[in-house]
Amino acid sequence: MKQACHYASRLASDSLDRPLSLWERLRLKLHLSMCSNCRNCDNNLKLMRQINTLIRKNHYGQLRLSEQQRQQLHKALDQHDNAIH
Amino acid sequence: MSPPDDPHTWLNEHGDYLYRYAMSRLHNDELAQDMLQETLLAGWKGYARFAGQSSIRTWLVGILKHKIIDYIRHEIRGRNLTEAVESDPTSAFFNANGGWSESPDAWKENPEDLYSNEQFQKVLESCIDKLPEKQKIVFRMRDIVGEDTPTVCKCCDITSTHLHVLLHRARLSLRKCLNTHWFEKGTHS
Ligand SMILES: [Zn+2]
Repeated sequence: MKQACHYASRLASDSLDRPLSLWERLRLKLHLSMCSNCRNCDNNLKLMRQINTLIRKNHYGQLRLSEQQRQQLHKALDQHDNAIH
Repeated sequence: MSPPDDPHTWLNEHGDYLYRYAMSRLHNDELAQDMLQETLLAGWKGYARFAGQSSIRTWLVGILKHKIIDYIRHEIRGRNLTEAVESDPTSAFFNANGGWSESPDAWKENPEDLYSNEQFQKVLESCIDKLPEKQKIVFRMRDIVGEDTPTVCKCCDITSTHLHVLLHRARLSLRKCLNTHWFEKGTHS
């Protein structure tokens, strides 16, 4: 199978974004069972995805509006209110 | 006394949530605050159209999401970022037979340890930073922000196939960069 590892890396990446077709799934599974390089790559990509998910949850999950921002927003809403009434 | 549904109440109850949503996508304080303000005002103006079929929060997020997509689309168009689909940079990682030109290593560390390691975070940031602009944008949106693929495609005016090509490129480059600057070195354990 020519271009086998290159293609397998594409399927491994795609599997993070879309459900693979039955044929693609079988092909990837078969290739991974025979190729330790691609197994490593597949695991590396999954590990990267897990780390990125942790960044999202932990970093952005902590963010809050500052008191100053909150006051500014309330003020802006008031001004807008006065403008229509 | 303010009625239960008015933008001040929304700001108090959903402000932090909407701000997080905007910040994770825009990485810019002022911009996130502006978007939040516009969203609350647009929500108030269009409140008559809110029929209560979803929660106020879901409805407000929907408005914010549209504003952010519009903004990012505009940004990307303005910078006129193009990346040829024809020449495939991932070929560099493979030999003429489609095998790996350099074998990927097994990475032994677990995601929690890596995440909480400041040095690793720095290496990761610098590796992401080295990606070509368009790959960087789609990679951040899809893998860091966790945006779904239709939204990323819409923001960048690309087809889902093109998106998959760009993500494949970004992830293989990033994998290689992390391998070289972190896992292969093994000086940190
Ligand atoms: Zn392989």
